[in-house]
Amino acid sequence: MEQPLLVAALAGAAIVIVVLAVVHMRQRHITERYRGQVEALLDDLRRRDEELRHLVGTRLPELRDQLDGRPVTVSKPLHEQWLTGTPFGQDVQAVLDLFTESVERARVRADRSAKVTLRSMMRTVQSLANEQQLALSDMQERHDDPEVLADLLRLDHMNAQLGRRAQATAVLCGSWPGQQRQASALSDVVRGAISRIRDYLRVQISSEVNVAVVSRAVEPVVLVLAELLDNATRHSQPNTKVDVNFQMAHNGVAIMIDDAGVAMNGEEIQRATRLLNGRESVDINRIGDPPQVGFAVAGVLSARYGFTVSVDTRSPYGGVRAVVFLPNALLTAVPTNEQEGPAVSPEPDASSAPGAAAPDPSAGQQEPAAVGATTAGGLPKRRRVSAAAPGQGPREPAAGSGAAPEARVGAEPPSRRSAAGLGAWQRGTRSGRAASVSGGAEGPSAQHEADSEGNSRS
Amino acid sequence: MMTPRNRRALVRPHVVTGGRARPSRNIFDLVTLVTAAGDLPLTGLSPEKRRIVTLCRGGALSVAEVAGHLQLPVSVTKVLLSDLVDSGHITTRAAGPESRPEELELLQEVLDGLRALL
Repeated sequence: MEQPLLVAALAGAAIVIVVLAVVHMRQRHITERYRGQVEALLDDLRRRDEELRHLVGTRLPELRDQLDGRPVTVSKPLHEQWLTGTPFGQDVQAVLDLFTESVERARVRADRSAKVTLRSMMRTVQSLANEQQLALSDMQERHDDPEVLADLLRLDHMNAQLGRRAQATAVLCGSWPGQQRQASALSDVVRGAISRIRDYLRVQISSEVNVAVVSRAVEPVVLVLAELLDNATRHSQPNTKVDVNFQMAHNGVAIMIDDAGVAMNGEEIQRATRLLNGRESVDINRIGDPPQVGFAVAGVLSARYGFTVSVDTRSPYGGVRAVVFLPNALLTAVPTNEQEGPAVSPEPDASSAPGAAAPDPSAGQQEPAAVGATTAGGLPKRRRVSAAAPGQGPREPAAGSGAAPEARVGAEPPSRRSAAGLGAWQRGTRSGRAASVSGGAEGPSAQHEADSEGNSRS
Repeated sequence: MMTPRNRRALVRPHVVTGGRARPSRNIFDLVTLVTAAGDLPLTGLSPEKRRIVTLCRGGALSVAEVAGHLQLPVSVTKVLLSDLVDSGHITTRAAGPESRPEELELLQEVLDGLRALL
């Protein structure tokens, strides 16, 4: 009786042990698995913490510096492979993008408001400089004393530089160069640019060209040339010359500015070329101190008016050669009022010694003289037509009416002719005054008509 | 009478005279007459000087007239003229001495007219 009971008890115990063993095994297995998962999660968490710290402590500051324009590259994530494709990785990237965008937006906003402020300030400075130039011109007309003139010329020179600075800054701020000008001979355009730089005496124009710049491009081209000439004189020894040459081409004309200074290195040339492209907008907050505006201004204006500027060649003197190329679209013929010709027709004895003939007392007597054209300022010009210079007067009718008296006037002694000239001058003055009083509102062309009519009649 | 454009000339007077304000000789007044002398070559002259010589080739012009043609202040013109006298391109003579007393009124009027114009 006890035997089977014992067996049954033993078997039961064995079963229990087996079951317990199985359960224990499973339990261990499960625990093992969970431990693995917990470890993986802890590892994830640790990486996230590290990644976040890396983002805040290293990557964002690096990005800030990079956006500030410093030569910094933003470092990669610590666990790049683990991060790619995960939502966490995408979020990290989103933070970086948002940061970049907001910095960029703030920069654009600051740039825009700085430009607006600066532009309106420069407008005031520009108009003051213009007013001052007019006042100085008036004083130059009024004062005959060389001492006073010397002072006025110095003031005029300084004022021209001041105006140029204001103008260049305004252009960088998106303003137009302003100042409408007449179409002007290229040599005058270059000399206009020379007028506006400090070391103007060091610039020499070594070649000639008989072409003019169209009215709308005069001021921008003057401004660009002035900036390039200023660069050239500033970056070369004070005892060297800066050479300006022209080269006609089939599709335009090239203006070359050569200095004997220090050539630019590769990096500087790259920077200059980038600015001269004029494609990217200029950041007014990054033009440096002292401000480096020359290339930026040249880039903006050349892109806007359709000419090109390059500085990537060397001058024959070892310095920089700046080349401004004006296409035919910006060129025109030299204006007729600048064409050269004698004011009066040649005398038969033009080479005879002056003062040979005694002045005629009756010189004041009015002599019919053809007074045709007037200057742009309304001054009458004596311009008689002779065989030597036919049709040189800008107006054909005046030339025709001058033909008849010419024969007689030419035969008279020089003194009598000059006196007649003075008479003509006076008549011109009178009729000019009369015209300006009566036809003040009629505009220059009507006045021009009135002038020449009055003169040819008297 | 002179339009703002003339007073706002592109080429400023300091470039025209090369920065000089004092004529090398003090022989000019408004009515001094200048004439081109001979046929000296014009190479090497500034555009304004070349223009003066060409203007004066035809006969005598007064200083005031030259200044009017060039649209330059008379004082600046005098600097250029005295350079040209130095280089032998032009010669001068005073306005006729006999005509002066009689013509004083006329000259005054010319002067006034010029002032009004310039």
